[in-house]
Amino acid sequence: MKDNDTVIPSTGELSYLDLDRADQALVEKAVRKGYSRREILKLMMATGVTAATANHLFSSGGAVLADTPKKGGSVTMASNLHGPDDQLDPILFTSTIDYTRGRATYNGLLQLSNELVPEPELAESFSSNSDATEWTFQIRRGVTFHDGQPLTADDVVYSMNRHLGEESTSVIKPALASVQSWRKSGPREVKAVMNTPNADLPVVLGLFQSKIVKDGTTGEGNGTGPFTLESFEPGVKSIHKRNENYWREGANLDAIELTAITDKVARINAILAGDVQMITNIEPTAFRQIESSDNVKLLSIPAALQMGICCLKSTEPGSNGDFVKGMQYIQDREHIVNKILKGKGSIGNDTPISKAHGPDFCSELPQRQYDPDKAKYHFEKSGYSSAEIHVAPLVSGIEDVVLLAQANCSKIGFDLQVKRVPTDGYWGAIWLTEPVNVVFWNMRPTANSQMALQFATGAKWNDTHWSNPRFDELLKTSLAETDPDKRHAMYCEMQTLIHNGSGMVIPSFSNVNDAIADNIMGMPTVPLGQLGGNEWPEFIWLA
Amino acid sequence: MMLQMVNRRIAIGVATLIVVSVIVFIGTSILPGDVAQIILGQSATPETLAVLRAQLGLDEPGYIRYFLWLGDMMTGDLGTSKAGGASIASLISGRLGNTMVLAGLVALISIPLSIALGLFAAMHPGTWFDRIVTFCTLSLISVPEFFIATLLVLVLAVELNWLPAVAYMSGDESGWELIKKLAMPIVTLVIVVSAQMIRMTRAGILNVMNSPYIEMAILKGVPRRRIILRHALFNAIGPIVNVIALNLAYLVSGVVVVEIIFAYPGLAKLMIDGVQTRDLPLVQACAMIFCGTYVVLIILADVASILSNPRLRLPK
Repeated sequence: MKDNDTVIPSTGELSYLDLDRADQALVEKAVRKGYSRREILKLMMATGVTAATANHLFSSGGAVLADTPKKGGSVTMASNLHGPDDQLDPILFTSTIDYTRGRATYNGLLQLSNELVPEPELAESFSSNSDATEWTFQIRRGVTFHDGQPLTADDVVYSMNRHLGEESTSVIKPALASVQSWRKSGPREVKAVMNTPNADLPVVLGLFQSKIVKDGTTGEGNGTGPFTLESFEPGVKSIHKRNENYWREGANLDAIELTAITDKVARINAILAGDVQMITNIEPTAFRQIESSDNVKLLSIPAALQMGICCLKSTEPGSNGDFVKGMQYIQDREHIVNKILKGKGSIGNDTPISKAHGPDFCSELPQRQYDPDKAKYHFEKSGYSSAEIHVAPLVSGIEDVVLLAQANCSKIGFDLQVKRVPTDGYWGAIWLTEPVNVVFWNMRPTANSQMALQFATGAKWNDTHWSNPRFDELLKTSLAETDPDKRHAMYCEMQTLIHNGSGMVIPSFSNVNDAIADNIMGMPTVPLGQLGGNEWPEFIWLA
Repeated sequence: MMLQMVNRRIAIGVATLIVVSVIVFIGTSILPGDVAQIILGQSATPETLAVLRAQLGLDEPGYIRYFLWLGDMMTGDLGTSKAGGASIASLISGRLGNTMVLAGLVALISIPLSIALGLFAAMHPGTWFDRIVTFCTLSLISVPEFFIATLLVLVLAVELNWLPAVAYMSGDESGWELIKKLAMPIVTLVIVVSAQMIRMTRAGILNVMNSPYIEMAILKGVPRRRIILRHALFNAIGPIVNVIALNLAYLVSGVVVVEIIFAYPGLAKLMIDGVQTRDLPLVQACAMIFCGTYVVLIILADVASILSNPRLRLPK
C-alpha cells in the first residue's frame, strides 16, 4: 500500500502511511477540508486514537498531502466579472481575470511572497544604493519567451518604460512615477534611476501590471510565463497550456481555463455541481452553503480590505475630536468580525494598516476596544447628542456595521441617524462630501501607498480631510529609508498619528473570500487579490 | 404586388436601422463616463485619460465619430472594440453562432409544440385538457425566467447532478455533450416562449370559430377537426405568425437573463458588456443585429400571413 514516494521518518509511532485506506481517506479529507488541528484531533480521538498519535497523524497526513505535488489535470476558474475589455496588455490590467491570465502568461521582474516580501523572479537579484535613488536588477539567464526568443535586458527596459512618460496609459503610472528612467547598464543588468527615493519600488514591481513583455509589443500573449496562451476570447474565456520550456520547475497543471460567471448564485451553483473548480467573491451569506458542501472549500485569506467610517475633519461634527473618539469607542469590533463577517475578517485599530501588511503593521499600538462608557464620556464632552451617517451597500456587511453602531449608540443615549443611499453615484456625491459617510478600500501592497492615498495632506482621496505636517514628513522620509527597523518605527509613528488624530473609524477588515474544489492543493495566500493574489496558476496541483 | 410590398418593407427596415443607430449612439453617449474612464477605473489620472482618449479617437466630436462609424458600417467594417482592441467581427462571430444555435433549437421545439397544444386546446374548448393547458400557460407566463432557470439548476444540477449547472461551452463538445449542456437553457426558454404562443394560437382559432363561415361549415356537417385545420387555421395564421416572429426575435436579442444564469456566451450579454464599458462600436453592432433580426422576422411574418390569406393582398 506504500504507493507514495514520500518517505516519512519513522518515529516508532503510527504514521499516516501505516493507516488503512479508509482511515487515510478520513485524514486526507479532514486535512483537505482545511480542518484545524484541534478539529482533527477531536475527530481522531472520537475514534479511539490517543492524543499523541492523533497529533502525529495529523502532521504526517498533512505532510504527505502538502509535500507531493502531482503533475497533471486541469482547472477552470470562474471570476465574477469579464467583458470585451479583457486584456492581454499588462499595463491595462484591472480585473481578477486579467490578473490571472497575466500571471499565467507573463513573469515580473520580482514577485511578492505570501507576506508581501518582494522575491526574485526574472531578476535574479536586485539591490539599491543606500538612499534608494537608484535600483539595480540582474536579469536571469536562460529565460525564453513562448515564441522561442531569449529574454534580454532590452525587453525589460522596454516593458518598464511603458509605465513612464506623457504617452503612457499605465494603470500603475502614479505608483511608478518616482522612477525617472529605466536603462540598460550591462548585457544582463538594468537600472532604475529615481526622481525621488523609493524603497517600496520592488513591491510595485511585483504587481499584476508590472509584467515583462517582448520589446516592441503590447504583450499579445507572448510572455515568459508558466503557461502558453492557446486561445483568448474577450468576455468569454482563455485557455492556457503548460509551458514545457519554462525556466523554473514549471506548472503542475496541464491546462487552465479562465472565464467568469457574473451571477453570484450561478457561480456558486457551478462550483457545487463541479463544472468549475475555482470561483471568486463569496459573500458572508454564502459561507455556510460552501462549507457544508463535500467537494468545495472556502478559501478565506486575511487581507486589509478596509470597511471604514469617515468623519470629515473639515466640518462638524468630525472637526470635534471627541465626537470621533465616541464613534471609535462605540464600535463593537469583536461582534462585527464574529457575527457580521462570520469570522472571516480581522479587527481594525482605526488605522488602514492590518496584519496582512506584514512587517509594516504596528503591533505595538494598543488595540482600541468596544467601550460604551468611554464613548458616552466623549460624546457628552463633544456637546453633540445626534449625528447623521450616510451608508451605501458598497460591500456586503457595511450596512450592518453602521446599524450595529446605531443600536449601541442608542443604548448610551446618542442618536445616530442612518441615511441609506444607493451605490450608484455614491463615490461622486456622498464620499469626500457628506460629514459622516462609509468607505470601502481595496488593499494596497505597501503601508506607505495605503496611507499616502488616504491621509497625505491634499491627496485626492483623503477621505477624512485630515492634515498633519509630521505625518506628511514621515510619509516622504520613510520612502527613502532602507533600514527595516527604522522604517518600522516611522510607520508605527504614522499609524499612531492616524489612530489618535484622524477622523477615520476602521472597526474591521474583511478577508478575501473565494471557493475552490476540495482537491486543489498548494494555494498561495498573497492577500492582494482574489484566490491568493491570482498567483495560483504556476503553483497549485490536484490531489 | 407582393414584391412591391416586400421592397417597401425593406426600405422602411433600413430607415429604422439608421434611426435606431442614432438613438443608440446618443443614448450610450449620455451615460456617465466613457470607455477610457472604464478601462483605467479607479486609478485613472487626468493625464492618462487624455492620452487614452486620443489613442481611441474619443477626442473627436460625437457627430464625426457617428459618421465615421456609419461609413465603416456601409463598407461592412464593424470596427474594433474600444475597450479591448479586438476586432468586433471576431467578438461577435462566435457569440452570434452560440445565440443562433440556442434560438434555433428552442424554436425547433417550441413552435411545433405550441401550435399543436394550441390547436388541441381550441379543438376541445372547455375540456379538462383545455383547462390544464390554460392553467399551465397562465401560470408560466407569470413566472419570471430567472426563477424557472434557478429552480432547474438547483434540482437538476446541484441536487441530482444530472446536468451541468452552466452552459459554458468549451467549443469541442460532441453532440450528446452539447445537448446535455444546452438542455437547461433550452427547457427554460421553451417554457418562457411557448406559453405565449400556445395562448395566441388557441385564442386566434377560437376567435375565428365565431365567424359566419365557420357556422356555415358546422351547419354543412364538416367535422370539427377539419373545420379547424382547413378553415380556421389559415384565417387565424396572421396573428399567430406575428407572435412567433416576435418570440423568435426575443430569442435572439432578449435572453440576457438566461445567458447570465447559465453563463452562456451569447450576443445579448455581449451587448450589456458593451454598454457597461461604454464601448460604442460594439453596442452599435449588436443593436444593428438585433434590430435587423426584428425587421427581417416581421417582414417574413407579414409575407406569411399575406400568402395564407389572399384577402390581404388587395389594398383596401
